[in-house]
Amino acid sequence: MPEQQQTQYEPKIVAFLCKWCSSAGSDLAGVSRIQYPANATPITVMCSGSVSPQYILSAFRKGADGVLVSGCHIGDCHYLEGNYFARRKLYLVNELLQFIGVEPERFRMSWVSAAEGTKYSKIVRDFVEDLRPLGPQDKLKAQRP
Amino acid sequence: MINPQDLRTRARDLLAKGEVRAVIGYRRGSRGMAAEPVVITRPDDANSLVWDPTCVHNLALYLVEDCKQFAKVHQHPEKPIAIVAKGCDARAIVVLLQENYFKREDVYIIGVSCETVGVLDERKLAHHPAGVDLERLESAAFAGDDFVFTTASGEQRLSAREVMADRCLECRNPFPKTNNVVFGEEKARTLAAPFAALVRFEKETSTQPVRWSFWNHQFERCIRCFACRSVCPMCYCDECVVDSIAFAVMPDTTAEEKANRVRWIERSASRSDNIGYHMTRALHLAGRCIDCGECERVCPVHIPLRLLNTKLERDAREKFGYEPGASVEIASFVSSFRDDDPNDFIR
Repeated sequence: MPEQQQTQYEPKIVAFLCKWCSSAGSDLAGVSRIQYPANATPITVMCSGSVSPQYILSAFRKGADGVLVSGCHIGDCHYLEGNYFARRKLYLVNELLQFIGVEPERFRMSWVSAAEGTKYSKIVRDFVEDLRPLGPQDKLKAQRP
Repeated sequence: MINPQDLRTRARDLLAKGEVRAVIGYRRGSRGMAAEPVVITRPDDANSLVWDPTCVHNLALYLVEDCKQFAKVHQHPEKPIAIVAKGCDARAIVVLLQENYFKREDVYIIGVSCETVGVLDERKLAHHPAGVDLERLESAAFAGDDFVFTTASGEQRLSAREVMADRCLECRNPFPKTNNVVFGEEKARTLAAPFAALVRFEKETSTQPVRWSFWNHQFERCIRCFACRSVCPMCYCDECVVDSIAFAVMPDTTAEEKANRVRWIERSASRSDNIGYHMTRALHLAGRCIDCGECERVCPVHIPLRLLNTKLERDAREKFGYEPGASVEIASFVSSFRDDDPNDFIR
């Protein structure tokens, strides 16, 4: 049924990946030829701790259906403690988004190391599957054209 | 019970002896019984100071303003400034000290204990079944667990619990622990329900769509007057990340810099921009908001802003064991971490 496939809604994901682990992990998924949905737009940041809540809100405001923040596993941060700060800060963002009634599936955080290409592909696949039934995100999206 | 005369005497002495350069306090305002903030510099003016249930303002804001004025002319004050501080105001000062906004010796804290009550919520008083005529009220006074309102025709006594501000009903520390001198006693208060407004809200809007329709309605009404930001003692930045107009323009700021400044949020008061503004403000206040409730009080469209702040305050307390304004010594909330911070929301 090609018609149905064409009209299937594809969620847009903005993925903030830390340079040292998750970005390398997504690279590994690529060079390992692991098949996973192409819905995630990766944005490499220096550290998950550098992801300001402002980035996440801004992504939603510009129409992202989901936002993923991914960094090194706890204890493996290139800057020693950046991901600890990220964890605390983004916990609050997650809580606040749910508090105002944004679907909890829209924001996701993960730890992906440079060796976990498979895990990264699974996280994106799961994210897309969870977002698809929700439909387009229009709560935080700017109403302007 | 605090005798306002003690407060006046102390303020006069401090000024007369030259220990402080000014006293920030409350005086009788020009609108009915309501008190208004005042800065006095002459000992004789100390007689105008008042302490009653209408002293709702968080005066820590004026410490910040004072600091900014000195910073502008690159000077440091020679003498401290005195401030009349309730429990919540003192916590605000502690947070500012924690962030090194000013030094402890630059401020002389005249603590006032709210004892078993708190301050008045005028909106509650206006809707009180006893039919209080706000226009004709002349003064309000503490009387144990009651407030006594004086009108031209006589006195009216109301239970404080019925007309107290919500945040006072939920307050854990109505006593300024950090102080140079304190009036009133530290009385134990057992709270029936901390975070009562938040708990009530969560019960009423337990599902995600209901909660969204509530906040959607609130955020659509926001006119972005920035009153909540202006009144907040914690919002002291010269440049505000969510307000593209609050951009520090120096003599050497070029037209390009002005044109190319980052606009995280547009000026228009549309829903998505309003959400961006309020979410960012709430996150910037996480672990810093001491729940003085000023943002909610000044909101011209009555957005329940305390809900956002108390939500994060509760998370900080329950999930991270952090209490804002508890001590100058501890590291601030978002610049510290623990190994056992919540991790189960991460995949």
